[in-house]
Amino acid sequence: MAVSAADVRSALSLPDSSAAGPSNPRKQPSMTRKPEGISRELYSLIGPSQPSLAAQAKPRLKQKPKFATGASAATKWSLRSFNNSARKDGLQLKHWAKASEDPETEYPFAKYNTQNPTYTYSQDEYNRFLDTANRSATPKDGKIEIEKYWTKELTDKLFKLYQEYDGRWHVIWDRADFPPDAGFDLEDLKHRYYSVCRKLIRNRPWPGDEASRVTLINSLQFDLEREQMRKRYLVSLESRTSEQLAEEEALYLEVRRLEQTERRFKHEREELMRTLAGMDSGLPHLVEDNGAPLGILPESRGLNKKRKPTGMDTEPPTPSGAGSSPSVKRPQSTKSAAYDAQHCIIRTELSSNTPATKAAHQPAYARSSKIPYLKNNAMQPKILQCFAEMGLSPSRLVMPTKENVHQLDGLLEAVTAMLDTKKHLDKVEYDIQVAKKQLAMRNGEGVEEGEDTVKNEDAMDVDQGTETEGNEGRGASVVSIRSARSRKKTHRSMSISSVDTTATSVSTRKRQKRG
Amino acid sequence: MSANDRVRVRGLSICRPIIYGNTAVALTQKERDGLASPDHTHRWTVAVRSAASVPGSGQVGGADDLSYFIKRVTFKLHDTYPNPTRNIDKPPFEVTETGWGEFEIIVRITFIPEAGEKTMTLLHHLKLHPWTLSGEPEIPPLDVALKAGPVHSWQYDEIVFNDPFQNFLNLLTSHPPTPIPRQKRHRVPFHTANPASFEESKGKGEGDVPPEFWVGMISEEAERLDEARKKVIGEQERMRNALIEKEQEYERLKKALTE
Repeated sequence: MAVSAADVRSALSLPDSSAAGPSNPRKQPSMTRKPEGISRELYSLIGPSQPSLAAQAKPRLKQKPKFATGASAATKWSLRSFNNSARKDGLQLKHWAKASEDPETEYPFAKYNTQNPTYTYSQDEYNRFLDTANRSATPKDGKIEIEKYWTKELTDKLFKLYQEYDGRWHVIWDRADFPPDAGFDLEDLKHRYYSVCRKLIRNRPWPGDEASRVTLINSLQFDLEREQMRKRYLVSLESRTSEQLAEEEALYLEVRRLEQTERRFKHEREELMRTLAGMDSGLPHLVEDNGAPLGILPESRGLNKKRKPTGMDTEPPTPSGAGSSPSVKRPQSTKSAAYDAQHCIIRTELSSNTPATKAAHQPAYARSSKIPYLKNNAMQPKILQCFAEMGLSPSRLVMPTKENVHQLDGLLEAVTAMLDTKKHLDKVEYDIQVAKKQLAMRNGEGVEEGEDTVKNEDAMDVDQGTETEGNEGRGASVVSIRSARSRKKTHRSMSISSVDTTATSVSTRKRQKRG
Repeated sequence: MSANDRVRVRGLSICRPIIYGNTAVALTQKERDGLASPDHTHRWTVAVRSAASVPGSGQVGGADDLSYFIKRVTFKLHDTYPNPTRNIDKPPFEVTETGWGEFEIIVRITFIPEAGEKTMTLLHHLKLHPWTLSGEPEIPPLDVALKAGPVHSWQYDEIVFNDPFQNFLNLLTSHPPTPIPRQKRHRVPFHTANPASFEESKGKGEGDVPPEFWVGMISEEAERLDEARKKVIGEQERMRNALIEKEQEYERLKKALTE
């Protein structure tokens, strides 16, 4: 490396020698012209006569931060206590905030404390949708067996834990002391929880549109078997011994070698055929597998994928890709949509399993005939009353378009579900009254044995009465139930919740038959 | 006719908006005297028409000629009328009569042979007397009835053809229905499924323009239904929470009882 005398001098901080003579005066002006961005050493090497690329491209170095100078004072920060609205314990903490900020502003991170929506269910809902114990289980595999263990108590407990630990499944699993004979895994807990949530959403009337419901249900999907398999794979992957690892590696190399041999063989055969017959061999191509048929486990395949040269991955297009295209929905142009709207055309996706026979043809119908009929059951007068209160009719529409008929259908479903809930509510309320009375009598001590049985009979009698007659006697005690029935009729408010069987005044004459 | 014409177009349904119903006007004493049966109090017209109205025509609906897909409309009147089954083979598909009482009219629509569809039966309650808020029929005195103007009772509906034959579909698409207006130009026809429209649907006496169906009625009804559904679901939500609470309370009580 050539080092000039001047450099040595400057490195050793020696005074500049006047004896340097001829080089010095030439160098001095060049230093002044040194363009920015070139180190002095470099410049002295390349010299001014050589225009360099580096000199043309200005270096983009990070700007030196401009610290506050005397003109603008540094921002003031102050330590203040703040209220985290997401906290419920009212703990006061302090943080540094800009003094210019309004101390009353909402704590900006409070909004990230989101709560999982909690789902609850009534006894009736549990019996109808969630009870797996009584279901006639087909023991096709162990899955159903596990489901059988879930009782309402255990499910309640699971939901309580979920709420308490905010969906932290590992904590829930740790804290849950479920009976050991049930043998619940973490996956079983998740499976139960998510399936219950899905069933609830699916079976309850939904206030929004169908799409949001489907999205919500999809967000609560949980595939028990898949999850269990995933964990099994992970465990087996983790628990490989070093011998196994080595063997796997050896096997992999062996497979690659075989593949290459095969490929070469195929290539040579093709060449030969072409030279001999001037055509393709017509022999079946060798499928370039990636090891699966040779018994290599999927996880090792995943590992090896990275090492695979990209050139070898030329897989032939699978037939499944071509076969699936007819099921893809044809994109509708806006023009054809406008055409359809103009002619009142509705296109539906054809399902391939619909038989194209004459018998399957649905005859022409009036849209209004698709309005669901009210079933003539005990619920009917209540439904009619409920609709009348809302200023609607359950069987007629002003404009029976497709959407409106669908809307009415949803409304009817919601009303039925609501009345159903109400029936159960009334029943439970009544049961509570009975239980309270019994408790009061027992605590009263003065009750004789004989009287107690009479009261119980009375209670049972009345209990039957509520079941058959619906909602009468709500809020009445055992003793005063008889009088309460007659009283109830006189003051009935007009809210939806007060629908009861005594009101049959809504006329059914208005209903029309449609053909 | 090519063989292709008799092929059903699968996965497609096409509908035509129609209205059916009647208008009725009370007769003056002088008019009644001129009738064959002077006890008749009203002149009414029952009709099946397209939903859109012709502005200034003075009638509800009827902008399109429906004979491109309807071959015949049969109105089955009350048996006391002479020749009670009236077959109408040409547009306008309507029957005008006089009478004194309301009754159910069976409206039977026969489609053109190309449709390959059976007849469709609709039912209409002939309305002679003005609508009332209570729903109970009320017969106003003659001068009041005359002043109130014609009584309208119309039902909107859509006739839906599923998987129509190709030639029938071509026929339908060559007659796109006149859409009902996007703006509300006149009052709306009253309907019992929307009692709230009572005041709005009232006529302003004789010479008044008849009511008209318009697009907003569809969305308004959808909103009404949606609102009601949200309300009901909210109510149910509240009840369910109460129920769950009560159930827990009951459990506690039961436990206390068994102790």
